[in-house]
This record gives sequence, structure tokens and C-alpha cells, in this order.
Amino acid sequence: MLIQVENLVHVYGSGTPLAHQALRGVSLEIEPGERVGIVGRTGSGKSTLVQHLAGLLKPTSGRVLLDGIAAHVRACAVQRRRLAIAFQYPEHQIFEHTVLREVAFGPRNLGLGKDEIAARVAWALEMVGLDIEEMGERVPFTLSGGEMRRVALASALAMRPEVLILDEPTAGLDPQGRRELLAQVRRWQEGVGMTLILVSHDLDELACVAERVVLLNDGQVAADGPARQVLSDGPLLQAAGLDVPQPVLLLQMLREAGWDVRVDRLLPQQAVAEIVRVQGEQGV
Amino acid sequence: MTPFIEVRGLEHAYPLEGGERVLALRGIDLTIERGEFVALIGSNGSGKSTLASHFNGLLLPTAGEVWVDGLLTSDPRHLWEVRQRVGMVFQNPDNQLVAGTVEEDVAFGPENLVLPPSEIRRRVDTALALVGLQDYRTHPPQMLSGGQKQLVAIAGVLAARPSCIVFDEPTSMLDPPSRRRILDTVRRLNVHEGITVVLITQSMREAVMADRVLVMHAGQVAMDGPPEAIFEQEDRLHTLGLGLPPAVEIAQRLRDRGMTLPPDLLTVEALAGALC
Repeated sequence: MLIQVENLVHVYGSGTPLAHQALRGVSLEIEPGERVGIVGRTGSGKSTLVQHLAGLLKPTSGRVLLDGIAAHVRACAVQRRRLAIAFQYPEHQIFEHTVLREVAFGPRNLGLGKDEIAARVAWALEMVGLDIEEMGERVPFTLSGGEMRRVALASALAMRPEVLILDEPTAGLDPQGRRELLAQVRRWQEGVGMTLILVSHDLDELACVAERVVLLNDGQVAADGPARQVLSDGPLLQAAGLDVPQPVLLLQMLREAGWDVRVDRLLPQQAVAEIVRVQGEQGV
Repeated sequence: MTPFIEVRGLEHAYPLEGGERVLALRGIDLTIERGEFVALIGSNGSGKSTLASHFNGLLLPTAGEVWVDGLLTSDPRHLWEVRQRVGMVFQNPDNQLVAGTVEEDVAFGPENLVLPPSEIRRRVDTALALVGLQDYRTHPPQMLSGGQKQLVAIAGVLAARPSCIVFDEPTSMLDPPSRRRILDTVRRLNVHEGITVVLITQSMREAVMADRVLVMHAGQVAMDGPPEAIFEQEDRLHTLGLGLPPAVEIAQRLRDRGMTLPPDLLTVEALAGALC
């Protein structure tokens, strides 16, 4: 599905003393199959933008098009169904009384048959690392924060969306859970070629997944380009209130100390390779 | 150092539907000294939050006992006193703010202690100054950023004058500038105000700030030591569902490639220093 955002403006509380312009003319296009990170500090407009993609908000001005149809209009229902979101606070989207029913809710609303629903639920729970025997009948609200987050994600996956939007998908997950989840989502994305949109302010994490990064600052697109380029631009990220990934920070420090290293190495193993390369060349 | 929290043979069982019980804590023995800065890490469901909830009597042991500053938490006569001595700050500040303005919110605790108004005023002012929110006293908390709201929550806890604060993943919802501000505040309260800190976190980078790291696994304390000693044990941490802070991981991979580096490199700054 092609996503087009054209000069999107969103004002909250328009006409009141508390009016606040959350998006100030955002334009971008996301092609099918892209892995895009949307980054920015709190209040930069990330969540507002995501809600527009899902057709949950009406633009104050500008347009959001899903395959050419405005996302918020009734005629876009079919397109919207091909897009799924896992929100930042899973407890805001969970409402069923067992994990199985929660994950089955979306597929049931798609009007799928019983077997297909069961198959999707089993598959989605496996994707997020929840044991169906152990967890299926548990009450979602008695789960730990990390487990609830996995349930919310499984619910989104069970829709088999063409576009999957994950809003801070790993907040509250333990390190192994984070690694596994990102690896699984990435494998799945590569397998079925869906569009993956990750919203985050943890750039170390984003570096593992996103090929392209859109940086929002104060409701505007401050940068849009290859992850390697945007995520290694220290001054740009700092101005937007974000931290460069730790490997980039290390390489920047070495550069300042006179090393001839490239700083656009986002992952630990890439930084290691770069340090070893330069050391070999310089015979340090 | 004097013990502040003493945990003896602590077990905690949560009831399940159908009368069964799930054992979340399986026999914990632990002493936290006054003034310590302890990071509590562990995979989801390992029992971190359950353990911390025993530190101020929010939960009571189903077996064993917990002493806080010499008071037994399961003695109903002590519960009020225990809760005053150990404050809690949670992940989502929206769930812990109660009043219409910042100063009223911070005053909520001391008001409930039935203190004279002048003392309440003094405590609120001191608490807001400690977190750097003096200029926001009349703002509605709802209008503040996530990080500022979390600072209001911390000020509210400080106004009750606790000896110890348990922070349960206080930064996981916050962006980097807010995160830094909260962590600086936590460190300052520990170093300058002598407040005992228990920081529950999923960020290995944050755990490195502590004097001591406790690793929970399946309801037990699996590892206990200074961060340098804990983060040396990469394989063990992986088995427990954890990992290394990025700087430690890079240093370890460089050693694997034959480079000689000193031990104890916990931060990017320290690693850069050792390389140059």
C-alpha cells in the first residue's frame, strides 16, 4: 500500500486558548515494503502523524492518502483494514478477558473462518514469544507490562497487515525480549514484504531495523534519508533532542581524538569492525 | 554502613483463578544498606516489581519477612511508618498525579500526614527545588511534558521525606532529554541527600550508574555485585534474558579480536579514553 502525506497540518484544540499546532506541514511518501523509522522527542508530532496514517484524525489541512484515498474517510475502510498499529500503552488497547480472545478479536472482525482465526492466533502468539498453552487463558490485565505489550503486538500481527506500525514497540521489554522481537519482526517483514513503520526515540534500537529514518522536530520533518546518514548526524539529532546511537558516539569521540574513523557505523559490531580497520591501517 | 532494608526468606504467591497460586518470589535473602544505590534488573516476569513492592509494604510476604529501617512490614502498626520511609515512583507519571496544580500535587503527601501548613509549604518548596520545578508550581501537571510530570511525581514522593525511593522503570516512557534529567535527579538525591535508591530498569546503560546491581531470575536473586563484576559475565546475563550495555559489548568484541583493554569499561566515555 502506498502512503502519501501531503503538507499535513494538525491543530489540537483549534479555536480555543489552548490551541496547539502538532504538525506544521509534513510531507512524505512511504512505498510498499519500506522499513521506516519515525523519530523525534516527546511532543515532536510522531504520535499525531501515526494517528493520521491510521485515519483516526482528520487533517486540519493537507492530506493523508492510502493508495490514493484519504485515510480518514469512510470510503477508505478497506485500506485502513490493511494497516495495523500496536500502540505505546498496551493497556489502552487491550479489553478482552483472555489472551486468546484478545488476539482473535481483529481476525474475527475480518469475518474469517474459525480455523483460520485459530491458525492466525497461534502464529501471532508464537511470533511474539508467548506460549499459547501457558498464556492463552490468562487474563490480559494480570500479565506483566512486557507480556501485555506482546499481546498487543500479537493482536496487530494477527491482522496480517500490509502496513504494520509499531509505536515504541519495546518499551518495557527486557533486553532479550527486545532483541528477539525486533529480529522476528524484521524476518517477518522481509518474508512477506510488508511496510514496517517504527516510532521510537531509542535510536540504538531503531538502527537494527530501519533502512530509512524520518526525523520530526516541532511538528516538521527535520530530516528524511537513509538510516546510516540521519542516525550518525550528531548535531542534527542533538538539535532535535535525541542521542546518537552509542556506537556512533564512541566513533565521534575517537574522531575528535584524531582517529581517521567513519562515524556512520550504527551497530556495535560495525563500530568494532571500523575500529579494527583503522587500527590495522594506522598500525596503532 | 547500616542495613536499611532486610529481606529474610521472602516468598510471594499471587492467587490465580481456580484457587491455584503462582510463586513470584521464591525465597529471597537480601540486605540493602542505608545510602546505597542499587539497580534491580531482570527479564519480564522475573519478580523485580514484586520484590520492590515489598520494600514499602505495598505487598506483604506470604512467607518470610521484610524489615525496613528496623520495622517489620507485616506488622500493621508499622505499615504507615514504613510507607513514609520508602517512596515509590512508577513508570507512567500520568497514573500518579492527582491534583490541579503542580504544588497541590506535591502537597498531597504532606497534607495527608496532617502537618501544619507552614511545614507543608516548606516541604513542597524544598521538594520542587530538588527536582528543579520551582517555576512550574502553579502549572497544571497535565500540561507538562512526560519528563516534567515524572519530576512532579518524584517531588511528591520527596515531600513525604522518605529515606529511600524505589524507582520502577521511571524513564522507559521518556525521551532522551527527559531521561537524562530524571537520571541526574536520581543520582543527585542519592549522592547529596543521602537517599537510598532502588532503580528498577530494563536499560543496561542505566544499571551501570548504580553502586550495586541485583539480577532477578524466576523469583530469586541470581546475581549480586558491583556493575563491573556483573557485566563481565556476558554468557550468564544472556542465559538470564539480559545483555550488555553497548560500551561493554563493543569493548568485549574488541578483546575478542585480540585487542588489550583494561577491565571495568562500562561507558562509551571510558572506552574512548582507554582506546586513545
